[in-house]
Amino acid sequence: MRLLLVEDHVPLADELLASLGAQGYAVDWLADGRDAVHQGASEPYDLIILDLGLPGKPGLEVLRQWRAGALATPVLILTARSSWAERIDGLKAGADDYLTKPFHPEELQLRIQALLRRSKGLANQEHLQAAGLQLDESRQCVLAAGEDIQLTAAEFRLLRYFMLHPQQLLSKSHLAEHLYDGETERDSNVLEVHVNHLRRKLGRDVIETRRGQGYRFIGLSA
Amino acid sequence: MKSIQRRLSLGLISVLLVVGLVLAQTSLWLLDLGLRRYLEASLRHHTENLLVATVRGPTGLQLNEQRVQPAYEQPLSGRYFRIDFASGTPAPWRSRSQWDWELAQAAKVGLQNELAPGPSEQLLLVYRADYRRYGQQLSITVAQDYSPVLDSFRQVKYVGLGLGAGALLLVLLLQRLTVRNALRPLERVRQQLQQLQQGQRTTLDQDVPAELEPLVTQLNHLLVHTEEHLLRSRNALGNLGHALKTPLAVLVSLAERDALAGHPELQATLREQLQQIEQRLSRELGRARLAGEALPGAQFDCDEELPGLINTLGMIHNRGLHLSWHAPPGLRLPWDREDLLEMLGNLLDNACKWAESQVQLSVQQDSAGVTLWVDDDGPGIETERRLEVLERGARLDEQVSGHGLGLGIVRDIVDARGGQLEMLDSPLGGLRVAIRLPGNARRR
Repeated sequence: MRLLLVEDHVPLADELLASLGAQGYAVDWLADGRDAVHQGASEPYDLIILDLGLPGKPGLEVLRQWRAGALATPVLILTARSSWAERIDGLKAGADDYLTKPFHPEELQLRIQALLRRSKGLANQEHLQAAGLQLDESRQCVLAAGEDIQLTAAEFRLLRYFMLHPQQLLSKSHLAEHLYDGETERDSNVLEVHVNHLRRKLGRDVIETRRGQGYRFIGLSA
Repeated sequence: MKSIQRRLSLGLISVLLVVGLVLAQTSLWLLDLGLRRYLEASLRHHTENLLVATVRGPTGLQLNEQRVQPAYEQPLSGRYFRIDFASGTPAPWRSRSQWDWELAQAAKVGLQNELAPGPSEQLLLVYRADYRRYGQQLSITVAQDYSPVLDSFRQVKYVGLGLGAGALLLVLLLQRLTVRNALRPLERVRQQLQQLQQGQRTTLDQDVPAELEPLVTQLNHLLVHTEEHLLRSRNALGNLGHALKTPLAVLVSLAERDALAGHPELQATLREQLQQIEQRLSRELGRARLAGEALPGAQFDCDEELPGLINTLGMIHNRGLHLSWHAPPGLRLPWDREDLLEMLGNLLDNACKWAESQVQLSVQQDSAGVTLWVDDDGPGIETERRLEVLERGARLDEQVSGHGLGLGIVRDIVDARGGQLEMLDSPLGGLRVAIRLPGNARRR
């Protein structure tokens, strides 16, 4: 999952980058509203976290421009502006959720999870469930047939992405775009290695390879 | 405060009455004076005639009857004379017209100041002249009945009074009409002010007479200024909140770091203190944002605002709750949009946290004000605990997220409006928060 964080307060951005990174998200960070308008619309983000008090261009204006440009990415507004009138304005401008500062880091984590599942049409349960697998996002491990299976950070990221897109054909470049932030070197061989690790832990048929096209997550039920 | 109309009428009546009476009395007095001067000349002429008629006869002085005017012969004709001789002989001559009454000799020469009483209720103008004839000193007193003149004066007075009263009535009527016309713009401004208070308009019409223009312009200016001021201060508060809450968010995040997990006491204190700062900050900033009754032109359009609020809550509490609202169509409430949204937002937010599946907002308006009900089908609050909850404005449960500030700010808003907040049993099975806001609070 690749997120865009637009926040001009550097210490808070640092905190968020650290905690989101630890939760297995690839995060790009911007501090200026004008850059955000452009990059939010051109890069394939899965979710955007937007502050409202931005230099360059106000956050609400950025959001309106995204929505006017038919950008469908879910946007979570993270702001100190807590009055109900402002929340309504925010959601009217096209936000999908609204969290006010100061917030509990866990609360943000839950909201991001819920928003991602909602945008993929999945139910918001305690664990991410897809095709017979249960992914515990807080512990970063997977439950398959009543058994706890530990995952490395990279495997967790990959599996979460697969589970949020079950039965979909995902090309290697698509996976790379959504699993790594803009500054990481993308190596498709590394991706192959992680897919093989997942197959070894969960079973060969969990992920199907379509030669020349990419991968498809089948899960256990198929 | 008396009405301008009544003041003008009273002033006009008293001025017209005083001036009219003084004028009428003075002119009557002047007329009387002139008439008496004129009659004085005629009376002097009469004495001269009587003097000429006094002739030396065979028995001494005697009056030549032929030279005396016939009116003096006719009884009680209103014209009388007497001639007194200084020597005492002969005895005073009296005109026959006196009949059984006697005209007394006037006290001084010339016209007498006072009217003398005459026979059969006549009032006499008396004139005396002294002469010397045939070596005899004689004094001639003539009198003329003045009452017919007085009668006609009285008649003139009555007619004048009638005419004056009629004129006064007419003047008052015209004045009333003129004043009403002249004051019509004032009445219009008054109506517009009322509409302003009820939130039916946001400015006053500039199309008024020159006298009212500065007032209306100033009022409009004040309205705009108040609104701008409110907007500016809300903006500034927003910025302040941003400036304080963002670092606070960093601190809250730091307090959760794994590095602190080894020092649970330190972590607990940090959390607690940060939470106190946050609560205090939110409460005070929220309170400072309230418009209260600062804006007379403010209004809240239920049809326009409530769907947005309900959608927002539905999005925040994304767990399949059924949210609904009921309000009379086209209802506009004379309160600031942000204040009312803040109040309803907090109440509905609380209801959403507790509800099983349903939250309902109802708005009703009657002549005395507006009633708002927020119902949920959650567990409710026991009757004994309700007062405690209201007084604390406190968090209802640690496990449900939220700061418990919702009720505090709701109370502030309700109090600022002179309203009432009550907790009741909801027909949905949970809690009903009932808020009663007086609609005419600002008209007092």
